[in-house]
Amino acid sequence: MNKQQLHDSALQHVTGEAVYVNDIDSHARLLTGHVVFSPFAHANIISYDLGRAKKTKGVHAILCYHDIPGENQVGAVVKDEVCLAEKEVTFIGQALFLIAAESKEIALKAEQLIEVDYEPLEAVLNIEDAMEKNQLLATPRIMECGDFQKAFNDSAFHLEGELKTGAQEHWYLETQSCLSIPGEGNEMVIYSSTQHPSEVQSIVSGVLGRKKNEIEVVVKRIGGAFGGKESQPNQVAAWTALLASATGLPVKISLLRDEDQIITGKRHPFLSFYKVGFNQAGMINALKVELNGDAGSSTDLSNAILERSMFHIDNAYFIPNLHLTGKMWKTNHPSNTAFRGFGAPQAMAVIEAIIDRISRKLSIDPAEIRRRNFYGMDDRNITYYGEKIENNRLFSIFEKLITTSGYYNKREEINKFNTNHEFFKKGMALTPVKFGISFTTSFLNQAGALVNIYKDGSVLITHGGVEMGQGLHTKIVTIAASELGIDMDKIRVAATSTSKVPNTSATAASSGSDLNGMAVKNAVDKLKSRLTEIFLQEINKNHPQKPSFEGSVLFQDNYVVDQMHRERKKSFKELISLAYLNQISLSATGFYKTPGIFFDKQKGKGKPFFYYAYGMAVSEVLLDVLTGHHQVLRTDILHDVGNSLHKSIDIGQIEGGFIQGVGWCTIEEIKYDRNGKMLTHSPDTYKIPTINDLPLDFRVNLLKDAPNPNNIKKSKAVGEPPFMLSFSVWLAIKDAISAIADHTTEPEFSLPATQEVILRSIEKLKEQI
Amino acid sequence: MKQPQHIIQFLLNDNLIEIDFSKSVEYKPTTTVLNYLRSLPGHKGVKEGCAEGDCGACTVVLAEYNQNGSFTYKAVTSCLLFLPMIHGKQLITVEGLAEKNGDQWELHPVQKEIIQSFGSQCGYCTPGIVMSLFALYKNHDNPSKTIINDALTGNLCRCTGYRPIIEAAEKACANIKSHQLTVKEKKAENIFKALGSLEKSIAIESQGQKYFRPATLHNALSLIKQYPKAHIVTGGSDIAIKQTKKQEFLEEIIDISGLRELKGHSEDQANIYLGAGLSMEEVKTIVDNKIPELHHILSYFGSLQIRNIATIGGNLGTASPISDTLPVLIARKAKVILKSGDKERTQSIDSFIKGYRKTNINPDELIYRIVIPKTMKGVIFKSYKLSKRKELDISSVSGAFRLQLDNEKKITDIALVFGGMAEMPKKAVQTEMFLMKKKFERETIETAMKILYDEFMPITDARASDVGRRLMARNLLMKFYNDV
Repeated sequence: MNKQQLHDSALQHVTGEAVYVNDIDSHARLLTGHVVFSPFAHANIISYDLGRAKKTKGVHAILCYHDIPGENQVGAVVKDEVCLAEKEVTFIGQALFLIAAESKEIALKAEQLIEVDYEPLEAVLNIEDAMEKNQLLATPRIMECGDFQKAFNDSAFHLEGELKTGAQEHWYLETQSCLSIPGEGNEMVIYSSTQHPSEVQSIVSGVLGRKKNEIEVVVKRIGGAFGGKESQPNQVAAWTALLASATGLPVKISLLRDEDQIITGKRHPFLSFYKVGFNQAGMINALKVELNGDAGSSTDLSNAILERSMFHIDNAYFIPNLHLTGKMWKTNHPSNTAFRGFGAPQAMAVIEAIIDRISRKLSIDPAEIRRRNFYGMDDRNITYYGEKIENNRLFSIFEKLITTSGYYNKREEINKFNTNHEFFKKGMALTPVKFGISFTTSFLNQAGALVNIYKDGSVLITHGGVEMGQGLHTKIVTIAASELGIDMDKIRVAATSTSKVPNTSATAASSGSDLNGMAVKNAVDKLKSRLTEIFLQEINKNHPQKPSFEGSVLFQDNYVVDQMHRERKKSFKELISLAYLNQISLSATGFYKTPGIFFDKQKGKGKPFFYYAYGMAVSEVLLDVLTGHHQVLRTDILHDVGNSLHKSIDIGQIEGGFIQGVGWCTIEEIKYDRNGKMLTHSPDTYKIPTINDLPLDFRVNLLKDAPNPNNIKKSKAVGEPPFMLSFSVWLAIKDAISAIADHTTEPEFSLPATQEVILRSIEKLKEQI
Repeated sequence: MKQPQHIIQFLLNDNLIEIDFSKSVEYKPTTTVLNYLRSLPGHKGVKEGCAEGDCGACTVVLAEYNQNGSFTYKAVTSCLLFLPMIHGKQLITVEGLAEKNGDQWELHPVQKEIIQSFGSQCGYCTPGIVMSLFALYKNHDNPSKTIINDALTGNLCRCTGYRPIIEAAEKACANIKSHQLTVKEKKAENIFKALGSLEKSIAIESQGQKYFRPATLHNALSLIKQYPKAHIVTGGSDIAIKQTKKQEFLEEIIDISGLRELKGHSEDQANIYLGAGLSMEEVKTIVDNKIPELHHILSYFGSLQIRNIATIGGNLGTASPISDTLPVLIARKAKVILKSGDKERTQSIDSFIKGYRKTNINPDELIYRIVIPKTMKGVIFKSYKLSKRKELDISSVSGAFRLQLDNEKKITDIALVFGGMAEMPKKAVQTEMFLMKKKFERETIETAMKILYDEFMPITDARASDVGRRLMARNLLMKFYNDV
């Protein structure tokens, strides 16, 4: 059991056998679906003509909103997102028509023959304009504690400012894909690249006007998601299902990269305003923040994302007096959506930028300012929304990382280097993350599982979670194997299917293994209890005087055994056979809901999180002052995953999340022209990290001896938190820039800190000194 | 016996494939190797991630069987290759590396190590990464970190953060390998030997397209005269995108990527002569320490997969304003030799480039050779590339500088050539004039930077703003000063 289970799909990955939606061996009469979308950010649709296009040879159907048998709606939470535009288009990339053709080429030919007459309208393309036009998406949210104004007035030092953080394209390697296969009657099977099969089922049943029990959604694996496949697959699934229903043939859509980048939502850009009051020790006393997010054209998950932003404005710091406002604004962009961190990175960037400024203002090392502001172990440990910080790991991680990274020695070396170099500067930053684990919409914290044991003793698990590369299935196998006491190669996780496990939540919020792991354990417990009963029945036939008891039965090493009488044992396989012959069910469902969490949205108080995950990073960069290029020299990360469910997989999540965060902080930039047309819709212009962008020296460690009580195998979730460790790189770059003015002047800085942003910041700083 | 001109032959892993375009409905001559593979049963390992050669998910390896009985392996992006371009080669895909005996896999070392190092998460980029690693494995024993990174720069992975992939590369390639042919190579060798020479001209007319792949330069030149509007494909990295991204229908194509006459190189006392058909990777190797600033800029040019396809001639022919190589060649006073059916003429690169994506090549001419003067004693050359992402990006600004000083450190010759600052690569003439005869010292440079800042009026686009570009160009002068 000590040997690490390899990623359960690794063999299929390296041999090319792994099947993704676009690889499913197609039906002979498979049609290609194609979506015709709006070239205008905002326009009225005056008229259109599909006649000529429909006559194209090889075209089987062209649909507009009139042709939708059910409701014209794909909104994930709020029903404000039409499937196909009716009278108006509100973003570039909005679907108007659907084409089913014998090839993509034919579909494109047909598209050329569609004539649409638009009346362009004024478009709102950024937060500032949306604010000016007062285009709020929903009522602003407020969270507060203490008395900000009084505390601010009483503070010895004050700072105020604003911070812009940019959008981010998910750039999953597999673009949005879906294959819909019509069956007999109203049946439809949907193979979707989605994190949320149950929602796809729901949306498809909505647009087709069919019952959910007629729609089955199946997900074997998906080629990366990062939040981009939480709600965005809904529309693609709806489109293929509509075309499949209209033609009676299977229809597949696998978006081209440029289509995907233009059509789908991104990480929300934020514009935040802040005022902070602090004392001469750098302790924050009062903080006022207004978070403004660009929601895009419809609600999607924006309200929940804003909520999580608001839960993380504190990051790891105790803020006694806070006034926090959160606003989402409507603009004429595709609806922005979930992305690893789910709003938290945008808020944490604000508080980390503030701490950084406090440190420069007071000339105290920023790591020290951070430590002083950490939530306390015994006091200063209640968040502004009322949750108590328990099992605080901040200090233990901080102390260890300061030592292992050689932080203070390195600080001296860097200062020396900077004194001796004019055109190269080094910078360093330590940043923490404290991330709340649970869906903040409490009822979503539920999961189901189905565990079948077959007569040969092999086990098949289906659960509500989706495998998107994060190693969820591998972790599930590890959990089940240890619970059943059998070898991992006897256990397989089947494709996720709405027909096996219904009404699931998205595989999101880092919750996959927590929730589904517990649900699987619940099912396994039921089976074990049945098996224990038959085991005792059988064993005790021979020991009527000194019978074995339930409490001493163990499942281990492929045997079921009485630990008090080790000779009393049966192989797992044998016992399964016996159970079958005794007419005992070898199939069980499992269920789990996270206990004890709640949140009162009106009051802004509650216990929204089951627990927090912690981590810290120290990064050191070398900046070329003349070119604006930088190189991360070294990053040390110490991260808390409780008792790791799987070390290699957890480290993989930390490294991958960190690098993805570094991308957002430094090179990933989305630009539009003045009409709202995206300029960066392909990897030619949109740059994610390559192999050269990882630190030259990259050391990632898991915090030892820190079990997480009450969670599956005392582990912690790991998907999102490490993303935010990338602020260590972002602020190390700022530190290097700041060295140009000997840390006396605050450099202009934003996120992403691209080569050009860096260069211009340096230029401005040089003008000031 | 030679096959007719409309049939191509190649090995797909261990199997000989023939495609007869005169009969095929499914494939046209510009069908990409990626789309061809994905149309076959059992070949869905190769993935489309971007259809423009920027992500590497479609990476395959092309092997060429050499006269001396060895194989040359190159990782390439299959989304940018047209089928006739692989005629006579072995196309190796992820399905061709391992053997499956019943339920048991016999994996290639690079596959084994990716599994052991947890180098795959979602797995979508993995087949491409495996193929890049396979080429690395074939070409290097115990490669350095620089070589490993270079081999993988063209493979984007969004899940892992790359660290475990580097680990896999190090482990898989650590050992010194035998130079004897493997079982698979022997199999391929036997097929190639049985086939004999596959060199021939290809001419395909199918589904409204004309595709020519002449076997000789003479042949190519007469085709160009005959079809003046045809797209000339030298490597494909530019032309293929017209089809995959812009959905253009390419009616006439003359594919000169197979012309041996364009692949040679030589040198004499004064110059290096490069065949226009040499790949960027080949050029990078040839010029190594002889034209170091060209070698430097080529190490940041695209990815290995792209450099294996793209040619120096093709690169010059596009006359891109953001070209990395043109400023270097202009600063070097390089020349280009153009050839038509009956004559040859030599042009300085400077006068060859006429404007935005315009050259003064005649419709009946091909770029034949590039002539690069070697470094004269006392002349200093440097090149720089600035981009949002350091690797695998197109420059916001690139610069190539030439400098000569007299004994008193006075400037006697200077060229400051920039890409990305105007509609074509351009010299900063005013700044050069200011600097001439002045002493090469910091104060002079600082004044020159001010002149340079105002000399160009670049555009704002997805890569950089006008102001940003002017700052970058200006700063490069100081960078150059520090580096000299």
